Amino acid sequence: MSARKIEIHPVISIPEHLVKEVQSKFAYVDEQITEARVSPEGNLIVLELRAPVSDEFKPVLEEKIQRVVTSMVKGAIQPKIEVLEDHLDHQVPYHEDPNGELLARGEVKQETTGVFALGPLVTRLIEYFESRFLELASSFNAQHHRFPTLIPARYLERVNYFRAFPHSLTFATHLREDLDMIDHFSQHATCDEQGNLTAPIESFSHIQTLLSPAVCYHLYFGLADQPLPGSQVVATAVGNCFRYEAINLTSLERMWNFTMREVIFVGSKEFVLESRETARLRMGRVFEEIGLAYRVESANDPFFIGEFRKQAAFQSAFQLKFEIRASLPYKGSTLAVGSYNYHQDFFGRNLNITLPNGTSAHTGCVAFGLERMAFAFLAQYGLDPREWPSNLQGVII
Amino acid sequence: MSIQANLRTVERIQTVLAGALRVAPKAITPELALGDLPQWDSLGHMEVMMSLEEHFGIEINTDTIAELTSVPAICEHLAISHPTE
Repeated sequence: MSARKIEIHPVISIPEHLVKEVQSKFAYVDEQITEARVSPEGNLIVLELRAPVSDEFKPVLEEKIQRVVTSMVKGAIQPKIEVLEDHLDHQVPYHEDPNGELLARGEVKQETTGVFALGPLVTRLIEYFESRFLELASSFNAQHHRFPTLIPARYLERVNYFRAFPHSLTFATHLREDLDMIDHFSQHATCDEQGNLTAPIESFSHIQTLLSPAVCYHLYFGLADQPLPGSQVVATAVGNCFRYEAINLTSLERMWNFTMREVIFVGSKEFVLESRETARLRMGRVFEEIGLAYRVESANDPFFIGEFRKQAAFQSAFQLKFEIRASLPYKGSTLAVGSYNYHQDFFGRNLNITLPNGTSAHTGCVAFGLERMAFAFLAQYGLDPREWPSNLQGVII
Repeated sequence: MSIQANLRTVERIQTVLAGALRVAPKAITPELALGDLPQWDSLGHMEVMMSLEEHFGIEINTDTIAELTSVPAICEHLAISHPTE
């Protein structure tokens, strides 16, 4: 075995239902790791490294890996997977990996890790899916909103985001208001071979804002610290979202900067749960028209290691999240293209959003990843619109 | 379960919950439920579940997590699973 590859036997065997979750977290263990694999049996971890590492460094790396395993696996409760819809056996005509053709045709252009520009075909496809999601929003008489790409750090602090998802945060900064510093930057700033901006760290401001990880948060903060106008709110917005996923960032499947359309419900528990279920049923008809092979099943958010075990079990027990997982025939797996979420009164309590009866408001949202939706469709139908369902051909050609 | 045994169980539950939620035992009122205290949120609830598992030897799964959301529900569950408590 080369020193660029390390094999580690976890102190606790990783159960099958946690293999992917644990493997994804290894991306954040050390910058030296370029790839991490867990055997299907969960008893072997293989790390590929950027460069050979010293004998002194190996135990340090192993200790961090074991810490991730112990934190996520010890005492973990097996989630109960509930499948609400299963259309994965829906026949689709395409079984190739669309990535090569998307890149060759300039329909997808990678600008840097996890950042992609999209060409006209993918864009038209996204606009079509957007129109269907907007139909859903209209069916609820949702009010349209526009939210900023930036989000104040104090907002995220207030909803414990730093504790739950620190690994995926993206920070915004700017040059400090200092003429000498700005002059120096303008004359000396360059990018090195890896694309890293070379500028003294003290040139940059304190961080007060981040790039927003979700759309619905902005609505909740807008409603904070006051009684909810009327007894309920339904809103919709589309926005850029940012979730850094290190070496897990691959193709349109997993982007650092992606676009999400959300329909958001705020009100009583009954109202939010009924709306979420109504949205699922309406979207089921849309996905049938589109001809999508997919399944809707219970899921959990990708909490960081310290929170994962407890939060994931809680989400599973109370069925707070259901993902729309579209088939990727070329790899025999599925990809989450959207989700139906219920937050209970988490935001209502933390942000002091109250109902007319004085209790905390409940919230929920349905969210669709636009690039993932297009990617999953192309993975099932290919890039030739003549092979697509007839109702989509009219929109695209 | 006798009235005395029942009272002892309630007292133990109060102690266990107070420890899990890091609040004074008197904050654990007989009708307290998930969400009634800021500390009894999703993370707090999982602390409660793990403490109950440790102190009473009950098995925690996704069903029990969703069911044991109040002091009365916990009392009832323990009365069935631990009738000698």
